[in-house]
Amino acid sequence: MRRINSLYGRIGLLKRKPEKTTFLASLSFSTDGGYGGGGESQQNSSRVKIFDRDLKRVHRDRAAWLSRNKNDTFVDAVAENLLDRLEDCKKNFPSALCLGGSLGAVQRLLRGRGGIEKLIMMDTSHDMIKSCRDAQEDSVDNSIETSYLVGDEEFLPIKENSVDLIISSLGLHWTNDLPGSMIQCKLALKPDGLFLAAILGGETLKELRIACTLAHMEREGGISPRLSPLAQVRDAGNLLTRAGFSLPGVDVDEYVVKYKSALDLIEHLRAMGETNGLLQRNKILNRETALATAAIYDSMFATEDGTIPATFQVIYMTGWREHSSHPQAKRRGSATVSFTDIQKQFGGQS
Amino acid sequence: MVRLSRVLLKEAGLAIDKTLSEILVCPLQTTLEVRVCEKTKSLVSDTIGVSFPIKDGIPCLVPKDGIILDEDGDASKAS
Repeated sequence: MRRINSLYGRIGLLKRKPEKTTFLASLSFSTDGGYGGGGESQQNSSRVKIFDRDLKRVHRDRAAWLSRNKNDTFVDAVAENLLDRLEDCKKNFPSALCLGGSLGAVQRLLRGRGGIEKLIMMDTSHDMIKSCRDAQEDSVDNSIETSYLVGDEEFLPIKENSVDLIISSLGLHWTNDLPGSMIQCKLALKPDGLFLAAILGGETLKELRIACTLAHMEREGGISPRLSPLAQVRDAGNLLTRAGFSLPGVDVDEYVVKYKSALDLIEHLRAMGETNGLLQRNKILNRETALATAAIYDSMFATEDGTIPATFQVIYMTGWREHSSHPQAKRRGSATVSFTDIQKQFGGQS
Repeated sequence: MVRLSRVLLKEAGLAIDKTLSEILVCPLQTTLEVRVCEKTKSLVSDTIGVSFPIKDGIPCLVPKDGIILDEDGDASKAS
């Protein structure tokens, strides 16, 4: 009980921080209040805001401290799976840009794959980038020239046609405008550059979703969003094509992570910076409701050995910036041979 | 100790490394270049008059970190 108390105490502290920054924002530059809504030409016309990017930044600052010097097996597995794809490419990628999410894991696990010579690490959180830099300076392997940068995926500060590879491991699902961010990534890539991304899919944390809903219904008589809306697998392909990537590839992996209790799950989510970042979130989580959620989670999903499973669905997306060497579909009606003739030639029976 | 001196050197030179200076652009208008301002330790996007800080040798190009430069301040920096 005391533990929960202290945890929510921390959230309370965190909540105050963004308010301070919004006060400052009237002096400094703010993205709120219609910048780009007026005369500026922006790529995205729909300016729906779902996620609180400033809160997410604070979350990631906290995650930088919580995940310091710790290797997270789930995050490592995703990064490893993503980087494994580099070995499937014959091409080398001299310059690479690594976007938010599990930066540290990508940097640590890269191990010379993809022939990367210059690596640029970018995240919205200054603390996260700093902890990456410290980790890199402590490690012996300094063969890759690494640069660090604080930036927002929604406003990618990278010149067009400048990098060969963009890796984003578990970061893009927090962008308000995912298609827009992917278009910016595509523009930043050189022709025949590769875009590799892993995002969390809709099946992620379905157990927690159910437990949260039930507990809220029971204790508060209504529900409020506690978990993000996430992309579905069928959307991922559309996203890649809409952003204009050629040779799009999507595949899905499900990881089941076991925890001692629901509180450990929440602790892990904090360390990854994956806690509730919705703009329209309920800022108060009743202690009773939180405990009820943990209890429902435990009673509905606990396995025989007393641990509770949590599903993480990860969608891996691969796309290339268009290039003349890529296979192209022929123009409609340009065929000279009939399919019936081919069938006659090769498959007589059917 | 080695690390400390390296950080100090970075601070003194301030020049953000070559890779970054080649590819960085203004996050609000990606067609615009940013220039390094040694005096204020910042990256300045002149056309829209916004300056982005460089903290510990790491440029911060999140739109929210940017500071709108006043007209006269801008003029003194440009000289």
